[in-house]
Amino acid sequence: MKGKIILTLALFSSLSFCGEQFSMSDADRALYEEMKENNPADIMLADGEELFEDIGGEKALAKFLGVSEDDLPSYIAGFPRYVKKIGLVVGLDQVLQAMMYDKGKKPFKLKSKKMFNMVAYVKSIANDEKINIDVNADPYIKAMYKLGKKVFMTKRGGRGLSCNSCHSPSVVGLVLRTQKLPDLGSNGAKSAATWPAYRMTKSSLRTFQRRFQGCMKNALLKVIPIGSKQMVALEVYLTEQAKGSKIEIPGLKR
Amino acid sequence: MKRVLISSLLLSISVFATDYKKVIEYPDASSMIKKDLLAPPKVYNMPKGCITNDPAAIARGKFIFHNLNGKKAKQNPPKGLSRKTKDGKIKQYGNCIACHNIEGAKGAGNVGPDLSKYKENFIDTKVRDYKFVFQKIADARIDNPNTNMTINLTTGLFTPREICDIASYIVSKK
Ligand code: HEC
Ligand code: HEC
Repeated sequence: MKGKIILTLALFSSLSFCGEQFSMSDADRALYEEMKENNPADIMLADGEELFEDIGGEKALAKFLGVSEDDLPSYIAGFPRYVKKIGLVVGLDQVLQAMMYDKGKKPFKLKSKKMFNMVAYVKSIANDEKINIDVNADPYIKAMYKLGKKVFMTKRGGRGLSCNSCHSPSVVGLVLRTQKLPDLGSNGAKSAATWPAYRMTKSSLRTFQRRFQGCMKNALLKVIPIGSKQMVALEVYLTEQAKGSKIEIPGLKR
Repeated sequence: MKRVLISSLLLSISVFATDYKKVIEYPDASSMIKKDLLAPPKVYNMPKGCITNDPAAIARGKFIFHNLNGKKAKQNPPKGLSRKTKDGKIKQYGNCIACHNIEGAKGAGNVGPDLSKYKENFIDTKVRDYKFVFQKIADARIDNPNTNMTINLTTGLFTPREICDIASYIVSKK
């Protein structure tokens, strides 16, 4: 079993290095289907689960958030949200940092592999739940939604592009350098429900905000830090676009 | 007495409650974004001798059009174009084929219009002139305020001469 996964992985990385560009051929697509059954990120989520148990697991998280363990999955499906104890609109990773602190541990860096593994596991607790973010719940999240939309629309960087330049409904489905521009918002697009995800071209588990950084880097926008107010705001904005989509973590991406 | 006790209790609670804002990472990126903002749209005058038949200029324009940057380019850039900038950074090229098809393009996108046979279809027919092409590449917002195209002169990504090289390539007979 494990051997098969490793073989598929090796095949994929050779594909991503040899090709001029990576467009999916029939063979690639077959591999993709196969990897969907055996998502390589499953091992990473198992690691994340252990790390999460170390800080008290679901019980401690439910207590920190002030909800019952039964309500935890649907509550997770509403992140990012305003957490009163913290006094900010935060992502799940930032809640985990706070919990680590409470446990007397040094919080993992938001951009660290360990945090990616742990937050991916924690979001997967909400698998099969529908995204239920409420951007009108309080003035804080309202403001963050507004900020997120603004950041999404802001043209900047070496080529004067915004996220919207490549992800507006007017260009979705068109092709940029052999890659179909994905729909992040309109018409029940579910991008936010599929991250954290395993990226085959990067051979690693990545979070939604890490994916934003990838686009910023490629399109020459100054890369802003994970967990910054503006990144959380972007996540709020794009999560609202995916509202109602079923959460399926870990996702699998090209 | 009682009052004092209560307020000291309250005080100690607020002292001991964790200030999570100091515990978690939550930087403010607003100044990073502000420094990175795109300047307002600008109209440019096309320099004298901008559009040229000089094969060297056309070769540079072609290279910029088809490649992403000095690190990714498979072939060496033609004379007068480098893989690095003067201060040693990787030189960015146009990567225009990400969005535009044109003669000989490999893996072209279709976000922007097909620029194949541009001379025959747009210049010879007088639908477009050189000035339009120059301005479009320099700052596409003048023609279309909501453009999805890259901004290449207002951002300082290219020099006016480089824009001329790219324009010369597009309008050349291929
Ligand atoms: C120059 C074009 C361009 C710009 C600008 C751009 N993107 Fe992308 N983005 C893409 C392309 C192309 C893909 C798909 C790549 C692939 O197939 O792996 C993508 C993929 C994504 C995905 C993954 C979607 C999924 O679920 O698979 C997210 C999320 C995303 N972009 C967010 C952003 C954000 C946020 C910004 C702005 C900070 C941004 N993008 C700016 C071109 C762009
Ligand atoms: C991210 C996508 C994208 C990239 C990259 C891009 N363009 Fe465009 N381009 C467009 C779009 C979209 C249009 C359509 C008009 C508009 O909206 O401005 C366009 C229009 C044009 C036109 C006008 C065609 C006509 O006659 O109407 C020219 C010329 C052009 N682009 C050249 C270039 C060059 C040269 C580069 C690289 C330096 C480039 N483009 C890079 C998206 C792009």
